[in-house]
Amino acid sequence: MPAAQVSNRFLDPAVLAGISGLDLIAKTVVDGFLAGLHRSPDFGFSQEFEEYRAYSPGDDLRHVDWNVYARTERAYLKRYRGETNTSTVVLLDASASMGFGGKVRKFDYAKYLASSLVYLAHLQRDSAGLIIFHDEVSNFVRPTSRQGQLMRLLHGIDEAQLGKRTNFEKPFFELQQFMKRRGVTALISDFFEKPETVVKTVEPLRFRGNELILFHVLDPREIELKLEDGALLVDMETGEALESTPDYAKTEYREKIQAHIEELRTKAQAAGIDYFLLRTDRPLDEALREYLTIRQGRK
Amino acid sequence: MGFLSPWFLGGLLAIGLPLWLHLLRQFKRTPLPFSSLMFFERRVQSSVRHRRLRYLMLLALRLALLVLLALAFANPFLMRSAASQSRRKLTLIAIDRSFSMRTGDHMERAKEEARRLVRDLPAGFVAQIAALDSHLEMLTSNETERGSLNAAIDGVTAGDQTSSYGELARALRLLDKSANMRIAAHLISDMQQTSLPANGFHDLQLEPGTEFFLHSVAEPKKENWAVESVTVPAQIFDPKKSRLTATIAGWQTPAAVRQVSLVLNNRTVATKSVAIPANGRAQVEFLGFDVPYGENRGEIRLEPHDSLPEDDAYLFSVERADPRRVLFLYAGGRSREGFYYKAAMESSTSAGLLVDQAQLEQAPNLDLTKFVFVVLSDPGELESDVARKIRTYVEKGGGLLIAAGINTARYGAIPVTQEKVSWDNLAQAAGEVDAQHPALAEAGRFENVQFLDSVREMPNAGAKVIAKFADGSPLLTEERVGEGRVLTLSAMLDSSSSDFPLHASYVPFVVQSGLYLAGASDIPSSVVVGSPATLRHSKNETTAADVVGPDGKHELALSDASRAMTFNLAQAGFYEVQSASGRRALLAVHADRRESDLTAIPDETLDLWRNTGSSAPVDKAGSGQSSTTPWSLWRYVLTLVLIAACVESLFATRYLMEKREAA
Repeated sequence: MPAAQVSNRFLDPAVLAGISGLDLIAKTVVDGFLAGLHRSPDFGFSQEFEEYRAYSPGDDLRHVDWNVYARTERAYLKRYRGETNTSTVVLLDASASMGFGGKVRKFDYAKYLASSLVYLAHLQRDSAGLIIFHDEVSNFVRPTSRQGQLMRLLHGIDEAQLGKRTNFEKPFFELQQFMKRRGVTALISDFFEKPETVVKTVEPLRFRGNELILFHVLDPREIELKLEDGALLVDMETGEALESTPDYAKTEYREKIQAHIEELRTKAQAAGIDYFLLRTDRPLDEALREYLTIRQGRK
Repeated sequence: MGFLSPWFLGGLLAIGLPLWLHLLRQFKRTPLPFSSLMFFERRVQSSVRHRRLRYLMLLALRLALLVLLALAFANPFLMRSAASQSRRKLTLIAIDRSFSMRTGDHMERAKEEARRLVRDLPAGFVAQIAALDSHLEMLTSNETERGSLNAAIDGVTAGDQTSSYGELARALRLLDKSANMRIAAHLISDMQQTSLPANGFHDLQLEPGTEFFLHSVAEPKKENWAVESVTVPAQIFDPKKSRLTATIAGWQTPAAVRQVSLVLNNRTVATKSVAIPANGRAQVEFLGFDVPYGENRGEIRLEPHDSLPEDDAYLFSVERADPRRVLFLYAGGRSREGFYYKAAMESSTSAGLLVDQAQLEQAPNLDLTKFVFVVLSDPGELESDVARKIRTYVEKGGGLLIAAGINTARYGAIPVTQEKVSWDNLAQAAGEVDAQHPALAEAGRFENVQFLDSVREMPNAGAKVIAKFADGSPLLTEERVGEGRVLTLSAMLDSSSSDFPLHASYVPFVVQSGLYLAGASDIPSSVVVGSPATLRHSKNETTAADVVGPDGKHELALSDASRAMTFNLAQAGFYEVQSASGRRALLAVHADRRESDLTAIPDETLDLWRNTGSSAPVDKAGSGQSSTTPWSLWRYVLTLVLIAACVESLFATRYLMEKREAA
C-alpha cells in the first residue's frame, strides 16, 4: 500500500496510539471494518431472524413459533442469525520482546488487536476470555458472555504489563483446563521461539475442535533490519549482548527471519492452525478485514 | 639529532584528535535493545574484529601522518662532520678588482695567488673564478679544467669601482643555497677597511658549512695621497670670477709638500705647492682662470705620483657660456611684478641668468626656445594658442615657473598643468619645506615670511609638493610635463601679497629654482663611478640617446639607445652624453675616493669573518680542519608525510566504500 494512502487512513496504528481507552480503539477498529462484512458462519440464537425450520422431536418447544402453528397447524422453529454459541479466548503475549517498536510498540499493537477481537466477540454475543502471559500467566479472565464481561476484558488488556521471557506451555496448560467446549482461540505473539515448539505446544487445542489462530505481530524493523554501523544488540528478554554488522543485518538476518516466518506459517497450516502475520505499520482494520475475508473464503 | 624549530613539536598534541575519533568515539557504541537475538550468531564478531583492525590501521596511519608533519615543521637535523658530507665541493676563487687594486703590483700578486690556488686544487675539483667590485661577477661556470680557470684569471684587471665585502658574503650565501655543493670560497684582496659594510658585521655572515679563506695582498702601512674632491661650478659665465677648490688628502702618510696643477683641455693652466699634514688634508684654490667657450675637460693633478697614481688626478668638466635668458611674462599693465624677480636673479654672478620681461600679449610673437625657462606671473586664463605654445615648449624640455595670484584663482586652474586652484585670504607663514630639493637649496625654510593671501592649490596625482604653507596646503609644487618641469608657487613673486621679496630666502629661492629649471643642477662638474646618467625622463620619448665612453666608443646598443632610461657610468674618465631631449653634456667621472684609503682590516676582524661560515674555526692556511655541520632531514620527513598521506587516503577510501556498501 502506498505510504500516502496509509497516512491518510484514520486507523493508522500511530493514530490509534493517540486514542485513549481500549474500548474506543476497539469500537473504532471493529466498526471500521464490520460494515456488513462479517457474518457468523454458525447459526445460533440471536435477535436477527434468519429462517424457519420444521420442528422435530427433541427441539426446545420455547422456540416454536406459535403464530405460524395457529395459521398452518404445523410446528416451525424460528432461527436467528449471529447466534454462534462459541467461546472466544484471546492469549496475549506480554513478554519483554513485545516491547520492541518505534511509534507503536508491538505490545500496543497486540493490545489493540486483542481489544478488537473481544469487542467483536461481544458484538456477536459470544463468550470471550483473556489470558495474558509471558513466562507465566499474569492475568486470566474466564470466558463468559455475562453483563460487564467486555469491560472486564478491556480493563485486563489495558492493565497488562510487559514481563520477561516467553513460555507458551504455561498459558496453554491453563487454557486446556477450562476449554471444555469448542471455541476460537486467538494467540497474539511475536513468536520468537522455534516454530516447531510453538506448533507443538498449541496443537493439542486444535484436537478438541477448537479453532486456533496465530496472530504473528512483528515490527517492520524486525523484518527488514537496517544497521548504519556495527552495533551492539541487546536481547530484550535475556539481556544478552552481541555485536552485529550492517552487512549481516542486510543479508543473513533477513533471510533467517523470513525463513522463520515461512516455517511457522507452513507448520501452523499443516496442523490446521490459522496463521496471520501482522506488521505494526499496517492499519489494523485493514489487516483484520483481509484476515476475515481470507477466513470466510476458506469456509 | 636536534630540531631547528622545536616549538613546532607542540603540534604532536594534535594526535589526540584521531585517538579520540577512533578509540573513544568510534568503538563506544550505545547498546541497541532488540527483541530477540535468536537469529544472530556469534561468528558475526569476526567481521567486526576485521573491521576494527582496519580502524586501527587507519588510526596508526593518521597518527603517523600527524607526527611526521609536526617533525617536518620542527625541522630535525643531524650533526655531520663536513668530511662525511656526500655533497661535492665547489671552490670559488674571487679576485678583488676594485680601484684600490691598481696600487703597485697588487693585481699581479692577486692573480699569482689565484693561479697558485688553481694549481693546488685536488683531483676531481669543481671550481669557479669570480671578480669582486661593487658586486660579484662569475667569470666562469663550474669548471673542472685548470686551463679555463687560468684564462679567466689572466683576464681580470683592476677597475674603477669600489669593492664590497658585504656583496661578496650575500653572493656566497645565495650560492650555497643554489649550488647544492659545499662551498669553499677564497677571497684574494687588499683587505681594505673601507670595503666592509657600513651597517655592521651582520652582512658578512656566511652560511653554515661554507669554508672561507682570505688571501691578502695588502702591504703593511701603504701610504697614499689623492685628490679627494674638487669644487667648481659646472658652468662659468665670467672667467674673472671663476673659482676652483681642490682638497688633497693623505692616508697613512707623513707630512709632505706636493705640487697641484690645474689642467684644462690637457694644458696646465696653473700649478701650486701645497703642504699636506701627516694623515691629513689640505686645500688648494685656483681663481680667475680663463676657460674657453664650450665644454672643457678639466683635471686637478697631484705630483709626484705615488703607488696609486690613478687617484692623483681628479677629473671635472666645466662649460664656458654666455649668460642665458629667462622670459618673465606678466599680465598687461603689471610691470612691477617682475621687478623683484629680475633684481634677485641678476644679483647672482654665478647663476648666469638674465631676465627679460614681456607682457603676456606679446607671447605669440616670442621665440621661447631662446629662453632657458619661462616665468608666468599670475597669468589667469591664457589664450589657447599661448597656452599651447608654452605647453609644447615645456614638453620639449623647457622649464616653467608659475606664480599663481588672484587672477589665476579667478580662472580656477593653473595653465599648462591644469591643477585646480582657489583663492584664500588667510594670512599665514610657510610650513614644511623640502630643503634637500635642488630648487630650494640655500633658500632655507622661508623663515619669517608672511603670506597675506595665497592660492589654494589642489596638486595633480603626479605632482610633488616641495613646500607647504603652515596649514599644510601646497606652497610650491613640481610636476613633470613631457621632458620639462613646471614649478608652481601658490603666491606672487612681488610684494603685493606677501613680504617674501624682503626676506633673505628670496634671492636663493629665485636663483636656485632658476638654475634648477635651467637644468644647470642636472649636470654636475664631476660624478663618482657607478652613478647613473639620465637619458630620458619618460618612456614615451623614443628619440635615440647616445653615450660616448672615455675610450671614444659608443656605449649604447641600438635597442638601449631608444629605450634605456639611464646609463651606468662604470669607468673613470669623460663621458659625452646626449639625452633623448637632444641635450648634450660632458660628464667627468672619477673613482670613489674611499678606495684611496688603503688601510687594511685588522687581523682580528678578518679572523671573525673567516669563522662565520663554520661552527668550528677553520685553519687559516686553508688546510680544512674538519667541522660538524647540521644536516637537515626535513625533506625526507616531508617525503614520508606524502607517502603516509597517500596510504591513509587509500585505506580511508576503502573503509568508506565498505561502509557505504554495508549501509
